[in-house]
Amino acid sequence: MPTETETASRKGFAEAARQWLEENVPERWRTHRSVMTEEEGYEIRREWDRQLHRGGYAGLSLPKEFGGQGLDVAEEVIFADLAGRAQAPDGLARIGRILTAPTLVAHGTQYQLGRFLPKILNGDEVWCQGFSEPDAGSDLAGVRCRAVKVDGGYAVTGRKIWTSFASVADRCLLLAQTDPAAARHKNLTMFLLDMKQPGVSISGIRQSSGLTHFAEVQFDNVFVADEDRVAGEGDGWKVAMTVLANERGGVEAASRYVEIRADMDSLQRAIGHLPEYQRQLEDYDSRVELIRWQVMKSIDYDKDSAEFLKAASVLKLWWSELWQQIAELGLETADATNVEHWRLQYLETRAASIYSGSSEIQRNIISERILGLPR
Amino acid sequence: MVKTAAGEIGIAVAEAIRDAMTKATAGATIATYIEGKPPVAWEVLGDAGWDLAGVIEDEDSTSLRDLVEIAGAWGETLIQLPLVTSLAVKRHSVAAAEAEGPVTLSVPVRTLPNGTGFVPFGQVPGISIIDSVADGSPVRAFEGGNPLDFAPSLLAASSPGTTSLSAEARRELAVIWAAEAAGRAAKVLQEAIEFTKQRQQFGKPVGSFQAVKHHLANAHIAAEVAQTAAIWASLDDASTRQAVAQSFAQSLKSVQLSIQTYGGLGFTWEMGLHFSLRHITTLRELAAGVLNDA
Repeated sequence: MPTETETASRKGFAEAARQWLEENVPERWRTHRSVMTEEEGYEIRREWDRQLHRGGYAGLSLPKEFGGQGLDVAEEVIFADLAGRAQAPDGLARIGRILTAPTLVAHGTQYQLGRFLPKILNGDEVWCQGFSEPDAGSDLAGVRCRAVKVDGGYAVTGRKIWTSFASVADRCLLLAQTDPAAARHKNLTMFLLDMKQPGVSISGIRQSSGLTHFAEVQFDNVFVADEDRVAGEGDGWKVAMTVLANERGGVEAASRYVEIRADMDSLQRAIGHLPEYQRQLEDYDSRVELIRWQVMKSIDYDKDSAEFLKAASVLKLWWSELWQQIAELGLETADATNVEHWRLQYLETRAASIYSGSSEIQRNIISERILGLPR
Repeated sequence: MVKTAAGEIGIAVAEAIRDAMTKATAGATIATYIEGKPPVAWEVLGDAGWDLAGVIEDEDSTSLRDLVEIAGAWGETLIQLPLVTSLAVKRHSVAAAEAEGPVTLSVPVRTLPNGTGFVPFGQVPGISIIDSVADGSPVRAFEGGNPLDFAPSLLAASSPGTTSLSAEARRELAVIWAAEAAGRAAKVLQEAIEFTKQRQQFGKPVGSFQAVKHHLANAHIAAEVAQTAAIWASLDDASTRQAVAQSFAQSLKSVQLSIQTYGGLGFTWEMGLHFSLRHITTLRELAAGVLNDA
């Protein structure tokens, strides 16, 4: 529970961050991001990671000894919310900062912490995440990508899919099978693989909306050194659980809130005057606000408490299914002024109930891990 | 980012209520007492001073957010005693706070003819009522009305005339009732989880079937958000109406899903799950009644 002092410090943090964002978000990004080339977009986003680092906003909740700011998840959430409102770019360092860094803090060696964390925080190295495969989505036990022991390390062969940032990534947080004979959940190992090597081939996946957010990556005998293995052989499952716990939380929900709020506002401007939609709009509007309140409620609990898990567990399902409904209504009521937006958003949000853990998996997690129902 | 957690006073009183009522009911199901004698006497609540827990003396007194915590804990019990009603009335009326014993009020609701009010706990012997929360308006003995028996947990009666409330009292009553409903939803869910772990069909606990699990996951989401919406309503004056509406909608959704997992047992009188539906839908009417009475 936050004390009064903490609340005051949160206020101070928010004020400073708001001002910093106002002064630092590139004007060109605010005004031209939908028409710039992919290269220019990447350049601005990469520079944004460096700006965050210079401004003291990289690794907010990482301990100071690892180069972070030593603040709480609350500040991460506050910053994500403010950055969204300020139309800040989404940096390229997201995977490194949100997934790799906390994972290394929990399981990494001194060498790994020293070698990777500084470059994650200053924006020099971009990371991607290699968990999902064509035949292993939510079921990580189905991972087939093989890492075979060779002199000084491992040779990796296999395919990964749904990889964000693959084309710009320097490193991959990779889950691979090291012992096909071992039991389920005991046969996986986590690696920190260098993406800029021969044998790594990347092909973009064009989605139903026409946009390409993800790639498929093929590894063909790609070397990864022993010193770039996280924890022990066979510990990959345990390490992956740490990663996923960081993936599905308040920070993501807070940034989504901003996007969904913007869509809700457009919808209200477009059809808010029509009496037949009043009730539906009010319902959606309340549920959008409840994303924010649910996030605020969860970060006020101690993050190791049962209450925190209970509160945070609902976020992903809550925002993703709501966003789909908003986009459905947007498309149904679209006119010439906004049809392009709603067509894109409608097709884009179809994926919201799949990525970051599908709705079905989320419900399994709630019922088994939060409610304690039998498997 | 607003601080959403309750203060020490809210948490302490809520915990004390939970402990005492768990002991008092000794694991008995609601169905065993709701149509008879309450498992605990009013004096137990009065002696603990819980009905005065909402009285405002200075800036450290109980906040509306604290009352959300307290009403939520009370909602878990579903004991037919006028604690939450009395606590809310005593917070807004000096005369009620000074009166011995429980005090209630009369609320205009859509389901009663104009000019007739709904009096929660009007069937409780010796209960007092206020005609107005304004200073100087006295408390009087309630002379029984016509019993309203749809929700036995509310022991309500109808009576000519309705209580005159300040805007703040109207808002707070609506929020407190929403919070009570959310507490009830959380409790019904907890019991459904226990039930589905025990109940065997096809040689397995029904709680291991994915269709049932997903119903309960959805019930969990709805119960969580119902409480969050009550908290939102308590902290954001301008959004009370929409937050309260959403809170009730989510509480009901949660309870309906929980009941589904009981199969046929769920809609028997004897199992008593319907008492929660009766209670929440009636609280929703009361909240709408005070909010629309501006």
